[in-house]
Amino acid sequence: MAPRLVVLSLASDFGCQVQLTNMTAELLDVLGLVELSYWQLATSGHMPPDYDVAIVEGAVTTTEHVELLGRVRETAAVVIAIGACANTGGIPGIVGREDLEGRYGAVYGPGPAVATGRRAPLPLDAFIKVDYHVPGCPIDTGEFLRVLSRVLLGLSDRVPDMTMCASCKTNETVCFFDEGRLCLGLVTRAGCGARCTSLGRACTGCRGIAPDANLASAREIAVRAGVPAAAMDDALRIYNALTEVHA
Amino acid sequence: MAKLTIEHVARIEGHGNITVDVTDGVVREVRMDIVEPARFFESMVVGRRFDDAPLITSRICGICSPNHVVTSIKALEAALGVEVSERTKLLRKLLVYGSYLQNHATHLYILAAPDYVGLPNVFPLAESHPEIVQRALRLKKLGNDLTSLVGGRPVHPVTAVVGGFTSEPDTDALGAFRDLLLGVAGDALATVEMFASFRVPEFETAGEMLALTSDDDYAIYDGDTAALDAGWRRPCAEYREFIGETVVGHSNAKHSTVGGRPFLVGSVARANVNGGKLNEAGRAALAKSGLTLPTRNPFHMNVLQAVELADASARCAGYIERLVEMGGSSAPEAFRIRAGEGGSATEAPRGTLYHSYGVDDDGLITHGDVITPTAQNLANIEADMRAFAPTVADRPAGEFALLIEELVRSYDPCLSCAVH
Repeated sequence: MAPRLVVLSLASDFGCQVQLTNMTAELLDVLGLVELSYWQLATSGHMPPDYDVAIVEGAVTTTEHVELLGRVRETAAVVIAIGACANTGGIPGIVGREDLEGRYGAVYGPGPAVATGRRAPLPLDAFIKVDYHVPGCPIDTGEFLRVLSRVLLGLSDRVPDMTMCASCKTNETVCFFDEGRLCLGLVTRAGCGARCTSLGRACTGCRGIAPDANLASAREIAVRAGVPAAAMDDALRIYNALTEVHA
Repeated sequence: MAKLTIEHVARIEGHGNITVDVTDGVVREVRMDIVEPARFFESMVVGRRFDDAPLITSRICGICSPNHVVTSIKALEAALGVEVSERTKLLRKLLVYGSYLQNHATHLYILAAPDYVGLPNVFPLAESHPEIVQRALRLKKLGNDLTSLVGGRPVHPVTAVVGGFTSEPDTDALGAFRDLLLGVAGDALATVEMFASFRVPEFETAGEMLALTSDDDYAIYDGDTAALDAGWRRPCAEYREFIGETVVGHSNAKHSTVGGRPFLVGSVARANVNGGKLNEAGRAALAKSGLTLPTRNPFHMNVLQAVELADASARCAGYIERLVEMGGSSAPEAFRIRAGEGGSATEAPRGTLYHSYGVDDDGLITHGDVITPTAQNLANIEADMRAFAPTVADRPAGEFALLIEELVRSYDPCLSCAVH
């Protein structure tokens, strides 16, 4: 029997789900391998009581999200976290752990209370065990398809542990630090093919910190290239504000 | 009597619930609760370097991210006094139109069309009407490929920065894409025909309509804001002076008014304000749609998005011809960081998008502000539901619910944008 699939979103921009719809060459084939039980973005219908695989986009930012995730973990045999928000807290994580009320006040001011049940953003694995990870902002559809294939074949999760620098070397991209410019590829998890750096943009760390990263050494390299270590830490606060990497 | 509660309305971006209660012909309650979580974007950019803002704020929306990038960059350039080349402007227009082609194809075929053929989603059509699904995927892919050609990838393009582009496509790739754009003319017209064939209710919104307008183009990249009914035209950077925002208790997205009135943005407003500037392909598509402008029917958003597909594909082919001929550079302009304030707008697929920022002498952002198209439309969507519901309250419950959902979906709402 085809596994029953649900696609859910917490706090996100829906960009990773849009990427799912962007698999124009593969989407119909993928849907032939699963039973699509719930996907609010693409189909009418209600969340079913039972399913096998849950694809979750977005960071946890409300008490409702926490409750939903708990139910998802109880129900689904497999939970796949897609995108930076779900995996590291991503851009919503910039809000950080402190002064949520100050930020609420700055955006909404006094007046009727909205955005109730809000809480400081966190990635999925702060609450539940995540079985498979597709990092990135947004996800790469090729990587998603490889992970989904592993899910369907019963293979284990396999996210690269090394940093992105090796990809730049393979692509023969001139190192940003050679030009005195900051780049987070030194510490960021590989697997994207280093697309941004090959297009002239420094890595912003959207795939999270690689387990192999040596942050102390990376700061030294930055300083040697004339980039203050504080600038590196500040850049890490874009996608990795919730990861304990700061000096 | 017709009572209706729809939780997590399907086939829109983001989470919203609809409540409608019409009893004895009287509207007791109409609400669109926007439960999409707040991410507090305006607070995120404060204190960060100016060039972080386009990267961060583009994550407001995964479907119109090219618009957020370009609008944010233009607002910062206004604050910093940066002028960019004609080549950069044309490439940015292509980036924005990539999001049009992708968004319109997604909205029309995947999100809206199932309503009109009695299906929960578009996927069963792959078996019964493969030519329709293949057409949808071709148009969607074309938009994604255009954004990728200029921006490096379809969602969250990477090459556009303050002052220009960090990388641009070579001439051969650009030239080849011109032919692809001209090649979808038939698909665009078929889309117009399909949506023109769907019966939609006769309904008129009471709202004002706003859209960007410029003298020389079907405005999407820049221009003044024009008000259709009031007849004024004002610099878009002054948007804070003519758009009022209020917090309403049932919505994490603020509601907007102009002159105290709800208003509509999107394809209907654009076509009404700028219909005379449609190109030949757009005019032919409009004729095929059978519509005469102006129209006040929000259900016409769909068919007018299809008309825009025809206009956009031919228009982008023309931009590419100019890019190939003109030469020049899109490399980022050099500029000095200085304190300043700046605002700007683009037409995103679902309506006008405004960004503004203050920057200090060190290039750090002092404040940021974003008003998205759906945030502008929400008050009008509720006003329309209130006026429309009693006219269809006698229909069977399922049909009543579908009609209300169709009305909401016609606006192509994006609730992650609306709340942000």
